[in-house]
Amino acid sequence: MSLKASTNLEKVLAAGQFALTAEIGPPRGPDAEVVAKKAALLKGLADAYNITDNQTAVVRMSSIAAAKLVLDAGLEPVMQMTCRDRNRIAMQSDLLGASALGLRNVLAISGDHQRAGAGGKLKGHPGAKGVYDVDSMQLLAILKGMRDEGLQASGDELTSRPAFFIGAAWTPLGPPKEFRVTRLAKKIAAGADFIQTQAVYDVKAFAQQLAQAHDQGLTEKAAILPGIIVPRSAGMLTYMHNNVPGVVVPAELTARLKGASDPKAEGIKVTVELIQAVRELPGVKGVHLQAIEAEELLREIIPAAGLTPRPQV
Amino acid sequence: MITAEWKPIPELVGYLRGHQKVLLLGCATCVAECAAGGEREVETLAPLLRMALAKEGSPVEIITGTLERQCEPEFIEPFVPAAEGVDAIMSLACGIGMQLLAERFPQIAFYPGVNTTSLSLREAPGLWTTRCAACGDCVLGETFGLCPVSRCAKSLLNGPCGGTRTSGSCEISEDTPCIWNLIVERAKARGQLDRLSAVRRPKDWSNSPAGGPKRMLREDLRP
Amino acid sequence: MAAPANKFQPRITVLYCRQCLAADAQPFEGRRPGQGFAAQLVLLPCSSKMQVHNLMRILEKGADGLQLVACPDNACQHLVGSMRAGKRLAYAQGLLQQAGLEPERLGLARGQGLSLESITEMAGQRAEAVRPLGPNPLKGVSS
Repeated sequence: MSLKASTNLEKVLAAGQFALTAEIGPPRGPDAEVVAKKAALLKGLADAYNITDNQTAVVRMSSIAAAKLVLDAGLEPVMQMTCRDRNRIAMQSDLLGASALGLRNVLAISGDHQRAGAGGKLKGHPGAKGVYDVDSMQLLAILKGMRDEGLQASGDELTSRPAFFIGAAWTPLGPPKEFRVTRLAKKIAAGADFIQTQAVYDVKAFAQQLAQAHDQGLTEKAAILPGIIVPRSAGMLTYMHNNVPGVVVPAELTARLKGASDPKAEGIKVTVELIQAVRELPGVKGVHLQAIEAEELLREIIPAAGLTPRPQV
Repeated sequence: MITAEWKPIPELVGYLRGHQKVLLLGCATCVAECAAGGEREVETLAPLLRMALAKEGSPVEIITGTLERQCEPEFIEPFVPAAEGVDAIMSLACGIGMQLLAERFPQIAFYPGVNTTSLSLREAPGLWTTRCAACGDCVLGETFGLCPVSRCAKSLLNGPCGGTRTSGSCEISEDTPCIWNLIVERAKARGQLDRLSAVRRPKDWSNSPAGGPKRMLREDLRP
Repeated sequence: MAAPANKFQPRITVLYCRQCLAADAQPFEGRRPGQGFAAQLVLLPCSSKMQVHNLMRILEKGADGLQLVACPDNACQHLVGSMRAGKRLAYAQGLLQQAGLEPERLGLARGQGLSLESITEMAGQRAEAVRPLGPNPLKGVSS
């Protein structure tokens, strides 16, 4: 099998190994050392690390710069790119720049709307003019066109072809549920090589959606990595269930954390169980782990799930 | 219709402060339908502004009028005598009507009384919701008559993002339906979900406001 | 200390719905003196006939306060007229607030089977609400 970008993530998946990605959120300041510190904390735990692109529409260090810092620290980044802040000219220009810097994994997403951002804690920039020139599907197609045909979206030729391993997001349990598998199929047709999903807590519901994708052969065409956000309290689960679109938390799980004497330890246990449960599902090729603002927990969870050491490919 | 809404009253008071005599002009078409600039709103705003200005010690004489359509020159002409005696004009019409008015009286100070906001439908009494973004490249034929350009917060063309809430609302507000959720429902009801499975290419925005000011010309209609 | 004769005597305009009146009461329009205030009664076929611009005009003309007298929410002969009148009054109060004016100058009282005396008393309630505000500062400013 010929590799598209020969990234570590791509190679792990190509070798048939169970892949693991984690997340590093860039800081709200120009501090390279903050990024380096997070990188050092997580080094060796995952095959690649997603670098978010101004998530929740809050201004942070650019994903390109932070991804480069992570790369320099010896980790492999997955540079996220949203459609909110750039038009197709800026996107392609940034993608060429990213490629020149050695960034090869790119995840294309719509991005949180500038008005829905900040989550109430920060002001954000709700008055910003959103761009949304192209949508995430079209960005995937642009990435693929640049890589496979050496063409810009307009059809103009690139002087050489950037190698990208192309990622997309999937919200399997968001309404309209009957369309979500179709949307996954579209993303894969547009260019996605790997898929990271919205956080999965309801494994049964996820399995039903995944089974449809599997039956359509989609799990062969792209590597699906279910997302898991490490739960730290019942309150956090309730918040996500009520406020984060596409996240469905079974009541038993919330009750379990509520009843736990040490919710944090229980959350770690739950995460390990979730990893094991999704791993059993046909078509799952890895997991995408997020420990939002508590990355140190991953140092405990990943070995506990038997996922260390990471494969050398 | 073109919808508009009053600017904040302190902003309007700020515009008029220091003037002697002002003509406040409404429009009886779109802005009347959306209760921002019709005769009722003119006759509500005029006393309110007079009172606010008088209270702060800078009374301004405000005379009023409402044109049938502020965006047609012939409707403006009857107000020429009234306009000649004032030192400022404030308009409650949409941005189109406003500019024709300002063009007709370039020597008089001009102020907008409203913000023009959208191309909307009066969905129910007292509720107006967007239907069109004047994007210049209509997609309604592919989206079952529901517009994702104007009604999706991200103008997505390939289906819903991950922000659709369980209720079927958009991530920006519980009060805004996810239009892609509705498009999928309608497609399903028509038994044509498969029509949404092709990847739509990036849109050509050059015929939208992004492409620069529009100039539409029909030679056969020219004088 | 001001002599009682100079004391502020609020002028309250009362817009009242015809249907609020008791069956045996004679509809009346005009001035009715009250204790320490004067009421100017205006008859409406339904409180919903009142528009926001009417309220603004009345205040602008110098009334110290305005009391709308409407039927109970659920007893309007036009079903929703009285409810709408209440909403419009609240909207007008909001506009006054935004303009830096006093929303308390507008008020609403509801009732049924009312006598002219009780309507005048309702005007008195508004008079007491505006008394601390003093006279309408626009009195005599606008035409």
